[in-house]
Amino acid sequence: MAYLKIEELSVSHKNRVAISGLNLEANKGEIIGFVGADGAGKSSALNAIAGVIKFDAKITFDNVVYTNPKESQKLKPVMGYMPQGIGLVLYDTLSVAEHLDFFADIRDLKKDLAFEEYKKRLLSMSGLSAFLDRQAGDLSGGMMQKLSLICTMLHRPSLLILDEPTTGVDPLSRLELWDILKQNAKEYDMVALISTAYMQEAQKMDRVLLFDEGKVISEVNDKSVSLENLFFENAKKNNKLLPTINISPAKNALKKNEVVMNAKKITKKFGAFIANEKVDIQLKSSEILGLLGANGAGKTTFIKMLLGLLKIDEGELYLLNKKISSANDRKELKSKIGYVSQHFALYDDMSVRENMLFFASMHKIDAKKSVELINKYSMELGFNDYLDKMPKDLPIGINQRFSLATAILHEPIILFLDEPTSGVDVIARAQFWKLLKELKEKMGMAILITTHYMSEAEFCDRVVLLKDGKKVADDSVENFYERFANAKNFEEIFLEFYK
Amino acid sequence: MRFRVIKAYFVKELFELVRTKIIIMPYLLPIMIVVLFGFGIRMQVTGARILIIDNDHSKISTMLTQKFQHSKYFNTRVSNESEADALREIKKANVDAIIIIPPSFEKNVLKNVKSELGIFIDASFPSRANTLETYIGGTVLNLANEMNMKSGVISLNNRNLFNQALRDEEMIVPGLLGLVLFVAPAILTALIIAKEKEKGTIFNFYSSSVSKLEFLMAKLSAVFALHSLNVFILFLLVVYLFDLPFRGNFFLYWLSSEIYILVSLGLGLLISILVSTQILAVVLTLMLTILPAFLYSGILMPISSMSAEAYVIAHVYPVMYYNHIVYDVFLVGNGFESTKIIEYLLLLTLYAVGFFLLGLLLLKKELKS
Ligand SMILES: Nc1ncnc2c1ncn2[C@@H]1O[C@H](COP(=O)(O)OP(=O)(O)OP(=O)(O)O)[C@@H](O)[C@H]1O
Ligand SMILES: [Mg+2]
Repeated sequence: MAYLKIEELSVSHKNRVAISGLNLEANKGEIIGFVGADGAGKSSALNAIAGVIKFDAKITFDNVVYTNPKESQKLKPVMGYMPQGIGLVLYDTLSVAEHLDFFADIRDLKKDLAFEEYKKRLLSMSGLSAFLDRQAGDLSGGMMQKLSLICTMLHRPSLLILDEPTTGVDPLSRLELWDILKQNAKEYDMVALISTAYMQEAQKMDRVLLFDEGKVISEVNDKSVSLENLFFENAKKNNKLLPTINISPAKNALKKNEVVMNAKKITKKFGAFIANEKVDIQLKSSEILGLLGANGAGKTTFIKMLLGLLKIDEGELYLLNKKISSANDRKELKSKIGYVSQHFALYDDMSVRENMLFFASMHKIDAKKSVELINKYSMELGFNDYLDKMPKDLPIGINQRFSLATAILHEPIILFLDEPTSGVDVIARAQFWKLLKELKEKMGMAILITTHYMSEAEFCDRVVLLKDGKKVADDSVENFYERFANAKNFEEIFLEFYK
Repeated sequence: MRFRVIKAYFVKELFELVRTKIIIMPYLLPIMIVVLFGFGIRMQVTGARILIIDNDHSKISTMLTQKFQHSKYFNTRVSNESEADALREIKKANVDAIIIIPPSFEKNVLKNVKSELGIFIDASFPSRANTLETYIGGTVLNLANEMNMKSGVISLNNRNLFNQALRDEEMIVPGLLGLVLFVAPAILTALIIAKEKEKGTIFNFYSSSVSKLEFLMAKLSAVFALHSLNVFILFLLVVYLFDLPFRGNFFLYWLSSEIYILVSLGLGLLISILVSTQILAVVLTLMLTILPAFLYSGILMPISSMSAEAYVIAHVYPVMYYNHIVYDVFLVGNGFESTKIIEYLLLLTLYAVGFFLLGLLLLKKELKS
């Protein structure tokens, strides 16, 4: 009999069926991927298997049967579950080391040599060894994600359930994570169920279940099949592509290639730790600048300084050739910049329309004009059908468009996007990039974007690489390829800098 | 139940409370409430209801009576009733003090023979009783000066009375203990459980082998430990800042307070099961605790004079039972000899155990779907 057997799994939220008729068998050592558009039911399925939500099914693992969360209790000691969401399971004021102790204690782990060895390995994979004393709330987004991950794996579960574990995790750590996963699967006969938005990653799994509309529509175990194509074809067939985008040209678009923002030797320190060291960056109109770097390289910190959300410790900042020095300048700065943060900062208890009205009033846009703008953008960005929904009920791709629309309501000339595509499905991501291109071309915006999808670097005009808070490269994508002639894709180029 | 798991959660909880500075709340809130309300009440000694029994009917005794009648501090009534009747009026809380003028008062005063005024003061509120005593003494002295008497001719024989009838009624400072120890532990409990739900860290409980009992023991014991200290802080505050006497059994005070804190923890736990955000947890806890603790505790209105419904509600809320015990230990001192107190103590224990078991039953180790 199979090690893990799931029979007829279904989950409903209130009256909506989130997933139904899921059947799955897995053997010792198998890693199984869950992929599918956002809202296809992957998380519900994983929640159910982890026994943290009501469900209907008969699940057998290692000859133990459970049909509801209560019965799953007996398997909790051997299960590991990481829910979706950045830093969800972390306590902001506890340090990295305290987290590991806490999880070892609640899992009742023996702290023997083998444990210490394994812990060390997890820490080095996550790059957190040097930050044992840092509180979780002060970690970068990707570092939080990795800390959650190693806390989940600390007790070497034999049934490991991870919901989009690599969202916001840099390519280097992703590679090392996969090493550990594969090794655990082999050595400890672990079964892992992992959902992911990275098709490349899905390609590494033993088998992949493709989800759509609460059903598993196919199971792929042939590695030569391109999941990405499968994904697109299915979406096309079901008419599931998101509404198209059509932005009208701005009347007063900026001149092309004009330097709109110039940051000179910018430094940021947190105590003795230097998060950014003498970073120079120029933003030009009609240009998309990709800001890349491993987790904790200082991308978010840098953006926050340019935005005026964090104090600049050293260095100078110019907006349209004017030096930013007074409080008034900073106000002016904010009115010229749009920003979508790494953790979407939208209000969950207000509808899309109310959210937008709220942000419009914060920017002192008068009521009539805000209504006009909201109508215009919701039409052009294709989310007008969703205006009266709550943000949490939207597909993530739509959520992302509306966050973007909210960020450009006040007609900024510069747009900062901090990992806008993390955890977003392939299709929504592709369309998001089309949208950015339109903004760049029709409105002449200068766009600064961070991402951990190296394939997206190719859509940028220029790429800046940060490493340990310092700028290590700043060039056009073509020049990067010229410099590393052997590289097959941008990920390989990226990894060159971290060798 | 694994001690290691409980300890891990317990320590984590304390770290979080200290680092987020929320640790101040369990101490600041109760102290603030007691000090603010306690002092608010202390000041109001105008219009004290005085009953004068004049057994002399002389010129001087009438002068004295008039002095009281003209003072804005007193609301004076003169009567011929017997001393026993007058004392009954104090018990019914109809008067605050009685002054008895002895039969040959004038004669003695004029002969410079020492004469004694009998004074009874309702000492349900000791600080107020002290103030009253001073005012009464001042008024008498004032008369003596006007008449150029030798000092010490009129002496006051002062006795403070404790009102059995006031028991569940106006006993503000002890009543405040019943209020704060009901509100504060409940809020903190609801808060630290709701916080885990709001943030998502509750998943660590859902997806691990930590049992419901372990989880609750850890959470509740942290709040319990913090508030246990309050039992002593509040005691010192009441006895030293408000000069309340302490006539009862300290062990009874301590025991009943700890049990009462457990009741409050249980209530907070039940609230935390209903809500999933911190703000809701605080609002709901305040609604369910502060108002009733005020209305039905006997602070504002004597329970015996409540409408039938209110009377029932007052008996359903545990506040009244604790207040009764606190009143006893501070002002009366019947202690464990009173069967009513034993009964109330058992009732409170029942509440604590009941809330906890209900919480344990209702707490789900799964997401609301
Ligand atoms: N308030 C703070 N106190 C101490 N250290 C901080 C603070 N904020 C950020 N840091 C540290 O600064 C470094 C850079 O963080 P930042 O968030 O800028 O990284 P990032 O490049 O955006 O990473 P990611 O890709 O994971 O989002 C990290 O080591 C982080 O722990
Ligand atoms: Mg970041």
